[in-house]
Amino acid sequence: MHLDLSELSQLAPIFRELFKGYHVSRRDPELYAQLSNFQDQYRTLFKALGFELVCDTRGFYYFVPDSAIASAQVNKTAQRLALFTFIIVEHLADQGRDPIAVLDGGSLGRDELPSLLDKYRDLFIQAEVQTQEELEEKIMRRMTQLGFASEDNGIYRFLPPMHRFLDVCLSVQQDRDLAASVHSVLPLPAPVIIDEDSDEKLLKTDDPLDLSDFEEESEEDALARAIAEEQETDA
Amino acid sequence: MIEPKRVLRALAEHWALLEPLCEHFDQGTLSLGELRAQLAAQQLDSTPQDITSLLDVWIRLDILVPVAKSPNRFELNAQIHDFLAYLRKEHRLGLCLEIEAYLRHLERLAGYIQDAFDIRDGHDLARQLRLLDMRVRDVLKKLANDEQALAAVADRAKTSDRQIPLRQRYAEVLATWDEYVEPMIQLVNADGAFEQGVRKVENVLLRMLTEQQRLGHLVDDDMLLRTHARILEMQTSAQLTLRHARELLLPLREEARRHNAVTRGAALALSAIRRKGLDAVPQAAMPLFTRPQSTFLGSASQVEAYVYALANFEPKPARFPKAHKSHKGQAQRAPRTVKEMLERCEDALPMPDLMTWLLEQEPDGATDELLYWFSRLSREKRFKRERLERRDYHTHEHQVSLRSFALLPAGTDAAEQPASTPYAS
Repeated sequence: MHLDLSELSQLAPIFRELFKGYHVSRRDPELYAQLSNFQDQYRTLFKALGFELVCDTRGFYYFVPDSAIASAQVNKTAQRLALFTFIIVEHLADQGRDPIAVLDGGSLGRDELPSLLDKYRDLFIQAEVQTQEELEEKIMRRMTQLGFASEDNGIYRFLPPMHRFLDVCLSVQQDRDLAASVHSVLPLPAPVIIDEDSDEKLLKTDDPLDLSDFEEESEEDALARAIAEEQETDA
Repeated sequence: MIEPKRVLRALAEHWALLEPLCEHFDQGTLSLGELRAQLAAQQLDSTPQDITSLLDVWIRLDILVPVAKSPNRFELNAQIHDFLAYLRKEHRLGLCLEIEAYLRHLERLAGYIQDAFDIRDGHDLARQLRLLDMRVRDVLKKLANDEQALAAVADRAKTSDRQIPLRQRYAEVLATWDEYVEPMIQLVNADGAFEQGVRKVENVLLRMLTEQQRLGHLVDDDMLLRTHARILEMQTSAQLTLRHARELLLPLREEARRHNAVTRGAALALSAIRRKGLDAVPQAAMPLFTRPQSTFLGSASQVEAYVYALANFEPKPARFPKAHKSHKGQAQRAPRTVKEMLERCEDALPMPDLMTWLLEQEPDGATDELLYWFSRLSREKRFKRERLERRDYHTHEHQVSLRSFALLPAGTDAAEQPASTPYAS
């Protein structure tokens, strides 16, 4: 395929966002329009670079990590977000509201979070979420960072990529083994997901340049330290 | 006998009053008091006498009829009600059974037609053909009505409040599907009653056309051809109605089913998580997010160092062995292979400190090589590692500060150290 880079005018921002694990949907009209207009070109280019661009017909794009790498590690974030989706679906259904309408383009007020946390405390604890701050930080903020939701004035609006989690509900429902195993004593297969909190195992490589294990501070910390040092020198 | 013109004139004159009343009559009957109140609300300047005389006209013209055994309650005459519903495009979905009954009747009529033809009774034949034609029109009318009614069902489901439960929202869709669409699919099937009936009537008509050529005409060929064409129109119309019904309702039905599946899936997952923890959700189903190389080069200062090193890169001069010179001193040792190092490391388990061990093994090793082996060995799956405190190590040429690992065989002490515990900070 012939690739004309001048056509791919949003290549840099698109790559930057996708690379961060962000899901591009219609909420980012420019990026989304570029991706849908030049879908094949972007997919080919990214594939050549070793990234698999997934074009979901329900209106979103994302990078999927190499399954061999991905299956190596449990992803806390994905588990948390999936748990949150299950909880929201059940909570809305209990209230007689339509979960799909809410999770597919609908919204949820921040003021609904405390009651949610209260009602499902036992489950949230498993995801290391105990306070509303933690719920907002570990789940809601991560959802917005990854493009699953947007936040505006205390209202969380769910975006099309939420279908990835609704699909989890569907596949769980279709998983007869799971239904059976709810009552069995055998351990269930552990979910394997990547996230930035616990992704060091995914970074397992034989690459001598991979120094992630030696790093004792995050990039932000290192930058802050460097700035502080520079200021000291200046002073 | 009520004169049709008077009925039609009354309907036309009072349409503004009748139309809103139709909605009430769609829901049920109205008492005389309710009826008067409705009319008074619509005609603010009317006197009670005006309303009485208006109602009197409607009752005399049979537009309004008293409800059986409740003389004080009224409803619209069923014929008028149907006519008004047709005019207002308010269609009530019929029953699939009605269509089936009509079709059975069509089959019977085909039998009568055959009989009349066999006994050469032209008069009866013409009558039966007319009846057949009327019956086919009835079916066509019903199908058109049902199609409108189905569209209304779908519209109501789509436009209803998104906040009400789906079960409630789509109750009508699901009921319509079960009670109308599904039986219609059976009916219009290749071996269903519809096709059988149509085929039977068609065969009779076609045979009669041929026989008339041979035996002489009892009825006009045109009449037979017209009836035949109408039968085919009815067949096409039934298929179209069914197709529209499926197109309209199937997505909604699927949505309702999907909703049920999602809710059930979520409940199932939560139940599994309650029992077995977060890991209970099947891993295959989990979405994967990519962040594969976010810390590829480590911290910002390392990136800087790397880029600086790249900018100042100078290739080492290549040294080729010279044929005339014999190799003096100790032979250059071949670089260690990963396999070799892993085996050596495995033999040395349990290892209290990986970095110390590496320094013992390769006292003259270059720092980058040692760090490579440190990285490679500490990530090896067959070892279990435990993070140690930070300390300084002295390589041949550098001082390195890092948190080393103690290595154990992977099988040991698994209970103490869950596999998912993150080590990197």
